[in-house]
Amino acid sequence: MASAFTVLRRLYLSVYNWIVFIGWFQVLFLALKTLKESGHEQLYNAVEKPLLLAQSAAVLEILHGLIGLVRSPVSSTLPQIGSRLYLTWGILWSFPEIRTHVLVTSLVISWAITEIIRYSFFGMKEAFGFAPSWHLWLRYSTFLVLYPTGISSEVGLIYFTLPYIKASEKYCIRMPNKWNFSFDYLYAAILALGIYVPGSPHMYRYMLGQRKRALSKSKKE
Amino acid sequence: MKVTLVSRSGREFIKGGLELNDSATVADLQEAIHKRTKKFYPSRQRLTLPVPSGSRERPVVLNYKKNLKDYCDGNENSLTLVFKDLGPQVSYRTLFFFEYLGPLILYPAFYYFPVYKFFGYEEKRVIHPVQTYALYYWCFHYFKRIMETFFVHRFSHATSPLSNVFRNCAYYWSFGSYIAYYVNHPLYTPVGDLQMKIGFGFGVVCQLANFYCHIILKNLRSPDGSGGYQIPRGFLFNIVTCANYTTEIYQWLGFNIATQTVAGYVFLVVATSIMTNWALAKHRRLKKLFDGKDGRPKYPRSRRSAIACSETLVASSAGAQPLLSPRLWLPRRRSAYSIVLYC
Repeated sequence: MASAFTVLRRLYLSVYNWIVFIGWFQVLFLALKTLKESGHEQLYNAVEKPLLLAQSAAVLEILHGLIGLVRSPVSSTLPQIGSRLYLTWGILWSFPEIRTHVLVTSLVISWAITEIIRYSFFGMKEAFGFAPSWHLWLRYSTFLVLYPTGISSEVGLIYFTLPYIKASEKYCIRMPNKWNFSFDYLYAAILALGIYVPGSPHMYRYMLGQRKRALSKSKKE
Repeated sequence: MKVTLVSRSGREFIKGGLELNDSATVADLQEAIHKRTKKFYPSRQRLTLPVPSGSRERPVVLNYKKNLKDYCDGNENSLTLVFKDLGPQVSYRTLFFFEYLGPLILYPAFYYFPVYKFFGYEEKRVIHPVQTYALYYWCFHYFKRIMETFFVHRFSHATSPLSNVFRNCAYYWSFGSYIAYYVNHPLYTPVGDLQMKIGFGFGVVCQLANFYCHIILKNLRSPDGSGGYQIPRGFLFNIVTCANYTTEIYQWLGFNIATQTVAGYVFLVVATSIMTNWALAKHRRLKKLFDGKDGRPKYPRSRRSAIACSETLVASSAGAQPLLSPRLWLPRRRSAYSIVLYC
């Protein structure tokens, strides 16, 4: 059943996934290169452009889920992408003081490996209709290590940025104003840290469930 | 007759089943189960007819007033039913009372007590008239709700799961505090006098209309709550199915026009989407029940459920229909989704 719509959808998704894959591949390549040549303090500067682009492109995935282009429920992609964008723009890009921290390295590498596997996996499936079983295994197994390393890096970075957030007053809205509204970025950051407490086990358990389903399904075929 | 009870996994729930009179009602069965199991009082039990495995239809829930015989499919001497434990239950009255008590107590706390000292503000502050009127308006609203809970509403289901107490209290108490913090803030900026009067005036009118809607709904049912579902008629019910929700939504709009806080408007948006979901469900339920067959009246076609625009947005965001679905965008005759005419 190859209606024009289905073909267009597959073409678009293939292009999307492979382009973002290339972005993340660049990130990992530049990260490892910089680590070898200069050290972890320079890592962010080296990867900034492809990182900002590749991570921001993920916003399209929320759109894909909303309009029904892909099957992933918005409820699981939203928190994942939300935390990524928060770290990328709300912490790393907004507070240069934190960029030299060693946790940036573990963060970027965890993210990059995960995304390289994930985007190439979906790129294969959309473009060629299948993905080899080792690829499936990687997609549903590497998270077992990379989720803990990635999440610890995220939590750590937010925590270590708190003093800079407090000092800078960035993104804060103070009273009085016409709309009787206030926003304190420091408290929002602390709230974000709080969300990781129930959020991380929830996401991990969700992925464990996905792993069970995906790997048992492939065994049956 | 012999009743066999199984759990949803297929295991026999009560060994050997239960023996009941042929003329027994479902309520009698529930009593018998309660006697045997001690823990599962009737409002905790959900009894359904078994569905064939693989079938995706929703199971038929047994009505406590009906006879067991009505559910026997041919074999009059035995019946197999699926049992589900709904968990600890509380009466709706208890649930509503605690939900509404929070806002009734927390809001005045922000007005009367030097709470803002803990946020780093000085104790001395000027209180604007609008803040005082907002206090009265807010407290009257929740006082009214509590009174209606005990003296007006006739509930169709006696109980609600205990977990809803925590969830609902979190919702009401958090939003109540969030709004109270801003309206009573030492640095609060009031709106103009005319805007305040329009806001509160409109809000009061809507609260009175809302009360009248509740009276109409109450009169549809008998005192023991056994009336089930009826077609509401008269007043705003001729235009919308859930006029009670409509008036409630507009009442909050009045409050926000008068007090003008982002917190209040956020609450309005959330409350509107929740009530719109309920209104859509109730509207569909009534339309399905009152199909004009078997002597039942036909549900009036021209009615919307509560507010047509928000329904479309809520229905699509709730995943009922993805935004790309043509059904959502092509105008449909007389349906809750036609956004063209009723915004």
